[in-house]
Amino acid sequence: MIASVAVVGHQNNPLYLQSFTNANDALKLHHIVHCSLDVIDERVNNPKRSVSTLNESYLGLLYPTESYKVYGYLSNTKAKFLVVTTDLDVKDADIRSFFRRFHAAYVDAVSNPFHVPEKKIVSRTFAQRVSGIVKAFAAGTNG
Amino acid sequence: MVSAYGRRFYATKPELAAHRIEAIGYQVGHQLIERYTMERPRFNDHLEVIKFICKDFWQELFKKQIDNLKTNHKGTFVLQDNNFRWLTRISIDPSSDNNDGSQGSSSEATNLLLYFPCGIIRGALSNLGIPCAVSADSSNLPFCSFMVRIKA
Repeated sequence: MIASVAVVGHQNNPLYLQSFTNANDALKLHHIVHCSLDVIDERVNNPKRSVSTLNESYLGLLYPTESYKVYGYLSNTKAKFLVVTTDLDVKDADIRSFFRRFHAAYVDAVSNPFHVPEKKIVSRTFAQRVSGIVKAFAAGTNG
Repeated sequence: MVSAYGRRFYATKPELAAHRIEAIGYQVGHQLIERYTMERPRFNDHLEVIKFICKDFWQELFKKQIDNLKTNHKGTFVLQDNNFRWLTRISIDPSSDNNDGSQGSSSEATNLLLYFPCGIIRGALSNLGIPCAVSADSSNLPFCSFMVRIKA
């Protein structure tokens, strides 16, 4: 079950936040996303022994906490995509394909000439596409 | 589009027209680069970014690659295109061979046209995290060269 998705710009400004659970924990989601940004920065700026991670866009599991996991993905233009999920076991391939579709929807939203860069994404089409991708992901992992 | 900006909107202020055209190119480059770098792994350094611009980006935009790339390894790159697609059909006015260097209005029109690809390159590089200044030189059509100066 995907709890929320978020897109953060390259100056760590939030571009899109959407939660898919029924509770009103938007604040908690903001907080989780904010903490995950630190983990992303640490992974990117600190070239560890595994140099291959420098070239990968998909950052994988950022950190697991008590009831959810956060996955990260970094594009070439330093746009960060974050997914908070409450699933216990999620296949890596599923998350990767989710991020690919998410990135495609983001690129289409940003190509809108009326979209101002570094401002929030207000496109309804983008919101609908993201909801569709999340639903397809949930159906894929359940069925 | 360029002639609309050059002649109608800013007819009396060609510098403003140039600035506006370059800004439009900046936004276009900014958005295009997001689309074209989607599937690629991340870049390691500036040289890789410039090489991507010369090869893949130019290929997508103009169906050919940059013919020559020079650098001084201190943040300046010169991209040379021997047959710039957007300038191949420009007519050069043969009667304007004055020796006072003005060369008639054809070079002004060419310069206005060149601001757009300069803006595209600048937008693409700045979206990849490299602030820079781009200028174009087209003294010998259709050979065209773009000079990229990285601000560090």
